[in-house]
Amino acid sequence: MDTFIQNSISGIAIGMVYALIALGFALIWKSSRVANLALGQLVLISSWFTYGMLMQLKFPFWFGMLMTIAFAVLLGWLIERLALRPLIGQPILSLIAVTLGLAYFLEGLTAFIWPQGQGYLPRVFPQESIRIGPATIQQELLWGAVISLVLFILLSLFFKYHKMGIAMRATADDQLAVQACAVPVTRIFSMSWIFACIVAAIGGILISSIAAINYGLVETGFKSFSVVILGGMESFLGCIVAGPIIGICETFGGSLFGSSVKELIPFLIIMIVIMFKPFGLFGEERIERI
Amino acid sequence: MLKLNNIEVSYLNVVKVLHGISISVDDGVVVALLGANGAGKTTTLKAISGLLRIEEGEINDGAIEWNGERIDRKSAVEIGKLGLVQALEGRRVFGHLSAEENLRVGAFSRTHSKEVKSDLKMVYQYFPRLESLKKSIAGYLSGGEQQMLVIGRAMMAAPKLMMLDEPSLGLAPMVVQQIYEIIQRFNLDRGTSILLVEQNVRVALNTAHYGYVMENGRVVLDGSADYLKGREDVKEFYMGISASGTKKSFKDIKHYKRRKRWL
Repeated sequence: MDTFIQNSISGIAIGMVYALIALGFALIWKSSRVANLALGQLVLISSWFTYGMLMQLKFPFWFGMLMTIAFAVLLGWLIERLALRPLIGQPILSLIAVTLGLAYFLEGLTAFIWPQGQGYLPRVFPQESIRIGPATIQQELLWGAVISLVLFILLSLFFKYHKMGIAMRATADDQLAVQACAVPVTRIFSMSWIFACIVAAIGGILISSIAAINYGLVETGFKSFSVVILGGMESFLGCIVAGPIIGICETFGGSLFGSSVKELIPFLIIMIVIMFKPFGLFGEERIERI
Repeated sequence: MLKLNNIEVSYLNVVKVLHGISISVDDGVVVALLGANGAGKTTTLKAISGLLRIEEGEINDGAIEWNGERIDRKSAVEIGKLGLVQALEGRRVFGHLSAEENLRVGAFSRTHSKEVKSDLKMVYQYFPRLESLKKSIAGYLSGGEQQMLVIGRAMMAAPKLMMLDEPSLGLAPMVVQQIYEIIQRFNLDRGTSILLVEQNVRVALNTAHYGYVMENGRVVLDGSADYLKGREDVKEFYMGISASGTKKSFKDIKHYKRRKRWL
């Protein structure tokens, strides 16, 4: 019973961090219907950048964070401007291929600048574990969960009520009609990429301050895909619900079948979900009026 | 006042669609662009609103002036901010957004939230049906409701010139009547100029003050609505009424293609 509770709680906590990264995917999908396959690589490069700022250049913590956010903004802007904007109006497959290319480019770039392959960030959050009933949990994971929850709420409110957020959703529905309403679509796209990169950077800092910075971050990105597919491509609520589900499955799978199977479980879930609910748990169904 | 002077448009630098269109829309007036499929009516609207360039169309020659200012080199967003707003053909609502969110996107370029709020009330006054549906998902509304939503969305931009592309398309005659009454009222209440594209000539000429008949990318005839309604060839070719005033029977239609010369 104790291990059950322990597994659930740590599963939820780690799942919330997956959810955070998944938010970055949903953001872009929500406004431009582009599947961003470079999710894990965005996390990777911003984590290494934080490492560069804090450990190599030895900036104070707050300044390093500021620089990382600035870097994420710049990265998002550049990606949209250089890789995606020339492809506006092209078939969706080319757009996906471009994000795949971007993924390998970013991976190569990080390996080029930080060839050491493993890095550690200073511990941001207190180290002591917290007891919840019979279970203990690392405080860091708890903070990660709280931060994802806060970001989820902020993003949801923004997309529900803010003029810009509503326009972003409208852009996904009809790019021509939205321009007839004087909405600058290019600005919408670059904003969604900037947001996504910021979210990825925050996720990266959280995960890599808990564990280490290494190639595993890219795999975390892959796990976030399963979160997105389970939750529904454009749904923030889907991310925040599906994240913990994936997390729990992973920890239980790990404790039942050993850690080598653990990595498999999210992908197994993807396959099963696609069979029964192709739009995910909270995904928008394609509207067909009869 | 909008003035198109000898506009020529081609798509992808190959297909020439408009061969020198000249039309003008005075302030506060409803003008109808009439004609069959492929005459270039929609292209004319897109040339004005700047949406043409997004679809790889280009204005090769001529000038478009809005109150004396050249606008044919401006982007769609800039033109929209000047108050020239186009409601696209085919009821293109934002399907996954609620009705009210659709209307709010229409007001995107406006900065005073108070005015937007009062305009939202105004749109609900013109279309009471939309108020009761404001929380519904636009993609599930009926055809008439979607058309109302698209027109309402154009109204939300506080347009000085509203361009409506086939508001009657695929709607029941009663709904068409309703929508045209509202368009007329909006024009009278606010003095907004309206440029209509329509295949339903009868309805359009009952609302419009002035009309242009287009064919194969040219304006072949223009005049006041009453003048056009009185022309025999307009009656015969677009309203299906023969010279004697009776509806023409399909039995009598000759089976070869009749050549029409506009004099």
